[in-house]
Amino acid sequence: MDSLEALERYKDIVPDFGVFVKVQSSPLHASVRINTLKIGRPRLLLRLDKAGVKYRALEWYPLGLRLGPSERPGKTAEHALGYIHVQEVLSMVPPLILDPKPGEAILDMCSSPGSKTSQIAQAMENRGLLVANEPSTIRLKPLRFNCERLGITNVAVTRYDGQSFPDYTFDRVLVDVPCSSEGTARKDLKVLLRSGRKRSLNLQSLQVRLLKRALMLTHPGGTVVYSTCTYAPEENEAVVNEVLDLARLEKFSLLGLQSSQGLTEWNGETYSKDLKLCARYYPHQNDTGGFFVAKLIRL
Amino acid sequence: MSPSSSGSEAGSSSRARSGPKARFEIEDRSQVVSLWSERFGIPEEAFSGYSFYRMAQNIWAFRGPPLPRMSFETVGLRIISLKDKLWKPTTSAIQVFGVTATKNVVSLGEREAREFLAGETLEVSADVEPGYVVVRSGDDILGCGLYSRGRLISQVPKDRRLGVEAGDIRCS
Ligand SMILES: C[S@@+](CC[C@H](N)C(=O)[O-])C[C@H]1O[C@@H](n2cnc3c(N)ncnc32)[C@H](O)[C@@H]1O
Repeated sequence: MDSLEALERYKDIVPDFGVFVKVQSSPLHASVRINTLKIGRPRLLLRLDKAGVKYRALEWYPLGLRLGPSERPGKTAEHALGYIHVQEVLSMVPPLILDPKPGEAILDMCSSPGSKTSQIAQAMENRGLLVANEPSTIRLKPLRFNCERLGITNVAVTRYDGQSFPDYTFDRVLVDVPCSSEGTARKDLKVLLRSGRKRSLNLQSLQVRLLKRALMLTHPGGTVVYSTCTYAPEENEAVVNEVLDLARLEKFSLLGLQSSQGLTEWNGETYSKDLKLCARYYPHQNDTGGFFVAKLIRL
Repeated sequence: MSPSSSGSEAGSSSRARSGPKARFEIEDRSQVVSLWSERFGIPEEAFSGYSFYRMAQNIWAFRGPPLPRMSFETVGLRIISLKDKLWKPTTSAIQVFGVTATKNVVSLGEREAREFLAGETLEVSADVEPGYVVVRSGDDILGCGLYSRGRLISQVPKDRRLGVEAGDIRCS
């Protein structure tokens, strides 16, 4: 089967659908985030200039850099020393929307390999409590490895099933759930071979329970960001729609990063009008992968 | 929509922990701090705001509030491993706290720095005591080295070495 067929069901919801399908086969260039826990932005840029590395800073996040087509950032001294972290451009969005502050108590409920954890730590300036939770034993190692390389000193790693994460009160929680990952197709088209409505519905109940638990762990007025790297409404709007008795949606945007509104109906189901406040990011709009982000305020 | 339908594939790898596990115990501050100041001249202030924990043969530095009552896999940064009665600073800790070191520091040139980061053993003559040293190059703190009689053995962990690209892990 042609892997792109899995995307056909999004024909009526994705703008410029033909371009959307076509872009799936064009690979993404590498991108990195500057780790300000270890190096200042000017000094890092100077090093890249000296080494002849081609880069362009993101308009909406100066610490994010898109690199030229032939760059292999994972092999550089800057990577070994923890000055940069290789991270897909859109993966930098959820921590920005979470907006953690130094000294707060933050939970990253589904955290390995720690790209977003480490971005949160740097926003916290290594101060406060950052709990990085990851139940999968084999995924603990890359999480620990990244936290060590990046010099994070305020992270405590736990290994709970997020659905039964122990009682505590956090200021903010990031719920970057396991998903069908359709938005990573530009890295590997094969993810699309497994995706479809059935698979998405299978993931949905876990996603709802993780998001509910996250909200229960957040104090009233606190922020919960729910994110996936998939287009499937079953894993996005349908999940968020289930928790609107616990939280309200809040609008957000990043200047210079194009997004589409969340859906209010799909496949015969209708969702709350507020779901428009969620953001869908499509690969052809910003030359990225794909992502879904919802910002919730605990009632 | 009914959230009660079960059967997620992610669930299989997500067992909740059951039963007690090795605990992180609070470690005496003055002892840890004096190890770093005696060996490297790192001032006590470098560790202000940190608390220290011990689990098994490792000491961890954590820059956060008192820990909630939960079970932890790691707490902050692992800074020391204890083997027999010897203490060994981790490369991660040297990279974070080594900036203020005033003794037992070895400085390398640019080419040697790359070799050191790649895990090689270098011939260097340095005015340091035998044992673990802070290795730097210009503004870069490279990590932990073991110095003895003109040889500097890189202690940079294998998966942290230059040129070793971490395997791609999905969903980041
Ligand atoms: C999308 S990935 C997270 C990526 C990560 N936030 C980052 O930015 O590097 C989803 C993670 O959720 C984990 N996971 C799976 N089931 C879970 C559960 N029941 N509770 C918490 N996390 C779970 C997976 O092992 C996986 O590491």
